[in-house]
Amino acid sequence: MTAWTPDEVWIERSEADSAVARRVRERLPDLPTHVVDDPSSANPYEFAAGKRRLVVQRHRGTFLQACPAGTSGLVCCNYLVMNFASNCPFDCTYCFLQDYLRNNSAIKIFSNPEDGLAEAAAVLRAHPERTFRIGTGELADSLALDPISGLSELLVPFFAAHANAMLELKTKRDCIESLLHLDPKGRVVVSWSMNTRAVTANDEAGTASFDARLAAARRVQAAGYKVGIHFDPLIDQPGWESAYREAIRDIFRAIDPKAVAWISLGSLRLGSGLKAAIRSRPTATTILDGELVPSPDGKDRVWRGVRIKMYRRLLDELRSVDSCLPLYVCMEPAGVWEKVFGNIPSDRQLADHLVGALA
Amino acid sequence: MSSTIDEIRRFAEQRHYRPATLERWLVLSPFDGAALLQLAQSLRLSDNQLRDLWAWAGEIAARDQHSLAEVLGSAEICSALRQPVGRHDQLKLVKAALRRRRFPQLSANEDRMRVLVRQLNLPAGVRVELPEFLEGDELTIHMGVRDPKTLRLAAAALLAAADSPTCAELFHLLDEAP
Repeated sequence: MTAWTPDEVWIERSEADSAVARRVRERLPDLPTHVVDDPSSANPYEFAAGKRRLVVQRHRGTFLQACPAGTSGLVCCNYLVMNFASNCPFDCTYCFLQDYLRNNSAIKIFSNPEDGLAEAAAVLRAHPERTFRIGTGELADSLALDPISGLSELLVPFFAAHANAMLELKTKRDCIESLLHLDPKGRVVVSWSMNTRAVTANDEAGTASFDARLAAARRVQAAGYKVGIHFDPLIDQPGWESAYREAIRDIFRAIDPKAVAWISLGSLRLGSGLKAAIRSRPTATTILDGELVPSPDGKDRVWRGVRIKMYRRLLDELRSVDSCLPLYVCMEPAGVWEKVFGNIPSDRQLADHLVGALA
Repeated sequence: MSSTIDEIRRFAEQRHYRPATLERWLVLSPFDGAALLQLAQSLRLSDNQLRDLWAWAGEIAARDQHSLAEVLGSAEICSALRQPVGRHDQLKLVKAALRRRRFPQLSANEDRMRVLVRQLNLPAGVRVELPEFLEGDELTIHMGVRDPKTLRLAAAALLAAADSPTCAELFHLLDEAP
């Protein structure tokens, strides 16, 4: 699959000599490039137009943050996120970014990743007794921009050198070439968001195909990386049970379950803004056809009885592959955990379980 | 056609609808716009009430590949609108009909649970409430008693109910969709 290329590049003037900006110019030499004082002017009115524009700018806030999935009332896995980029070149129907970044849609690569790593290093030094799971795939796909930014060449050695941290690179692409010559020392997990073949084909525009993701997963596994799988969002569509069963079987024909770091399951969840954004998309989708009802956290989800049924069926299937696979559900309340797993872990217990699975 | 548009504008103005609601309304196809107007007029809907009904009707239309007018003109909705009850109760009936069609599996589960609750044969002062949209794992029991004797009777009935297979099925349906 060819790497994503924007139509034009905007660079914040004060960052024009940064290593990231230089690399972007080297790798995209033929694109129109604008050097501007105020990068916020790069955000176009149309969300889709933003996805055709790459902006290199300084990140002025905190890089390292608690994962927003740790909302009150939901079981949390103490995951931390670091945003080295913002927005994603793909166009998944259900993506929350089309609402969350609707007024800030240009694709941004931050020019000062070293500041983020300095923040992480300080936290890791201050808490040597804890092992942190840190991911870069919240506001962007972790690897989609890697052919342009070369960020993984900075991140992988950093995490390989820190014994009390695990880096998770979450992606729907197959841009893994730069990872293959790096030694993660067992401390980097490359995770793929997986769905049924139908959802992948119909609702994940611009991403790698189901099989291409698996081929990439096989290659990183061979290169010493752990692999993670995220079945998120699970979509309640007619025939979901057999479609997810088939997806799980195909996945484990391709990759070794013993080298799987973790597998998460999460149901489709929609804030009101996201629901409206999905409805206003030009292409039809069936992902809203499920019986989505309001949850206590204000988001719509397929009603609880169906969610529990979906989680149970998928967990049964996954356990039949390997009973030791580390499994969890994302953004669910304690009551759902109890029904699905038979117990309610504390946030710390869940975090330790997932980190322990990597030992 | 323009008379329908004028009528929509007039109605929206009378009912103090938000401009955004009117704007959405006016870009509907003429048939859909007129069907919505008929519903809004017959139930004298407020802006919020209209948007609630419209949301479910729109979702049903998208899912079933029908027009909004077809959904609003369906037998269930027409039947609800023909009931000889007050406007407030008619609104409830229309809402219930749309909810049932938007959430068929959930509604069937709720129906079955209500049947099971009735089969528990609880005394008149005891009421069992299902969680809204079944989004929770608790049934709420409301009990109104006037004296120790009715309290003992209600408690005994609840104890007997708790041990019954009907109660087990009730909680099983709360646990997982069939």
